[in-house]
Amino acid sequence: MSTTKQATRAPRGGARRSGRSGRVLWGVSHGLVWLYALALVLPLYYLVISSFKKTTDIFDSPLTPPVDPVWHYFEDAIRYARLDLALVNSALVTAAALALTLLLALPASFALARSRGRLSALLERIFAMGFLVPTFAALVPTFLMAAYTGLFHTRTFVILLLPAGALPLSVVLLTQFMRTVPPELEESARVDGATTWTVLWRVFVPLSMPGIATVLLLNFLNFWNEYLYSLVIIGPDTSQRTIQVALPTLQANQATEYGVLMAGTAVTLIPVYIVYIVLQRRMEQALISGAVKM
Amino acid sequence: MHPTPTTPPTAPAATGRRPRRTRREGSPVTLLAVPALVWYLLFTLGPLLAMFYISGLSWPGMLAPRSWAGWENYRAVLDDPLFWQAVRNSAIQIGVVLPVMIVAAFMVGYYLTLKPRGHRLLRVVLFTPALISASAKAMMAYSVLAPNGMLNGLLDTVGLGGLGRAWLADTDTALACIMAIDLWNGIGFTAVLFAARLGSVPEEIYEAAELDGAGHWRRMWRIAFPVTKDYVGVTTMLQFLWILFSSAQNVLLLTQGGPGNATTNLSFLVYNKAFVQSDLGYSQAAGVLLFGVGLVGMLAIRRLLRQNY
Repeated sequence: MSTTKQATRAPRGGARRSGRSGRVLWGVSHGLVWLYALALVLPLYYLVISSFKKTTDIFDSPLTPPVDPVWHYFEDAIRYARLDLALVNSALVTAAALALTLLLALPASFALARSRGRLSALLERIFAMGFLVPTFAALVPTFLMAAYTGLFHTRTFVILLLPAGALPLSVVLLTQFMRTVPPELEESARVDGATTWTVLWRVFVPLSMPGIATVLLLNFLNFWNEYLYSLVIIGPDTSQRTIQVALPTLQANQATEYGVLMAGTAVTLIPVYIVYIVLQRRMEQALISGAVKM
Repeated sequence: MHPTPTTPPTAPAATGRRPRRTRREGSPVTLLAVPALVWYLLFTLGPLLAMFYISGLSWPGMLAPRSWAGWENYRAVLDDPLFWQAVRNSAIQIGVVLPVMIVAAFMVGYYLTLKPRGHRLLRVVLFTPALISASAKAMMAYSVLAPNGMLNGLLDTVGLGGLGRAWLADTDTALACIMAIDLWNGIGFTAVLFAARLGSVPEEIYEAAELDGAGHWRRMWRIAFPVTKDYVGVTTMLQFLWILFSSAQNVLLLTQGGPGNATTNLSFLVYNKAFVQSDLGYSQAAGVLLFGVGLVGMLAIRRLLRQNY
């Protein structure tokens, strides 16, 4: 009893002992952390309000909300950069790349989770090492590969390419999940005459749904937000390019008003924020488990 | 009647054990991993090897004829003052951003684990940069830093308009802006990661130290940090790679390496030589050197932040 009492009282005791300077420091750290938080939020706030303000108002009173909001910037942004087509392209690329990622990663994780051979240990290590290969390094050769395969300036090549970068993390995360499936379940399925394929889809996949959700959320963010490879490979064709490639074209046009650029940026953020608001906890968990992938 | 009671216990054990054994030792099921492996190697290892090969070619543009150049590209790169300026810019960028980011993120992460008032809201705010794409972040940075953007507008409002300038087009501030964006981008999410890791440190470890009257500063650096050093090391490594390689995107979208070459760093140089100046050999020779820098830096960080107990 006495030890727990001491322990619970200790934090306050510790703070008290450091005295006034301690309290001042504590106050300063509150201040600094919230100052940084403000720095994170302020540009977002500025982005939203500027989407409704005339250029002169944006500069004269940068932080005041729009007095008489201008609504046509969203329409302008969509028309100038064909953001409507770009949204569809991004959705297509993201969905197709996600499907392909699962199609490749699920059987692989299944194989790695249930075999203990030396070969599968080696394979797992190869995938685990994949986190440390910076994707940027392969930019130019990948661009040449797209050119030589005749899939240059198409979404198709990006759809084929994105899963490759996502595979290491997806395979490692899914393997961890599939290891928790009790072998007895598989054995009883086998007794009922199930094939390996049936075991994978009927036993392992349903039981690894949380892992699959994590992988999907994480890769949704990565695929939707991918910029450099899409820029280099898809290029300027409005019927093929994704939203991340289309957006900066608004800036390149010097005549563009700020409001249009801000409204366009806001449009690109909407899908991500919808998913985030609906699946906040899951998304945060996914990002945390996916960040340090070792 | 007699055999029946003896057979059931042995039969399931045999059928239960036999398939498990054969499956676990290099069975055809491992083949299911092959498509993923091939896919991964085709798009990652293949291009990486190609980078080494191309770095030995004289190849002035995609449609131009190419010929073997040996070490010629490396000589050109190492003789190029622009390359050394890019090395300098990357060194400044990494040297300032990485320590500041990791130390600040660790402190914010520790702060989060104390669950101060508003920590839930704070956590949501800190996630912001992790959700937004590179191009959207760049557009936001542009709108803040442009001559008639938010920063100058704010300075004007508080009567410090004299300090205002074209932040991204000024040689003195352009690189600092790129670095500030790295920090803006990196501290919050890294802090959330550290908070998650610190949350799994058993309370007894702190309690033992608390009895000796350790304040937060000492708790943080004498206990929390050594206990999680390995995790901090891996995170530092990944942030290092991110800053070294991916900041090409910010440079491309915001300054194009300028003004002059003030913001040309190594990754942007690799991009620019290939896609703007169409010198594929030079670009990939620089790419190989950049890859080497990444490898050496990673090993150095690993050594520096290894768990030492």
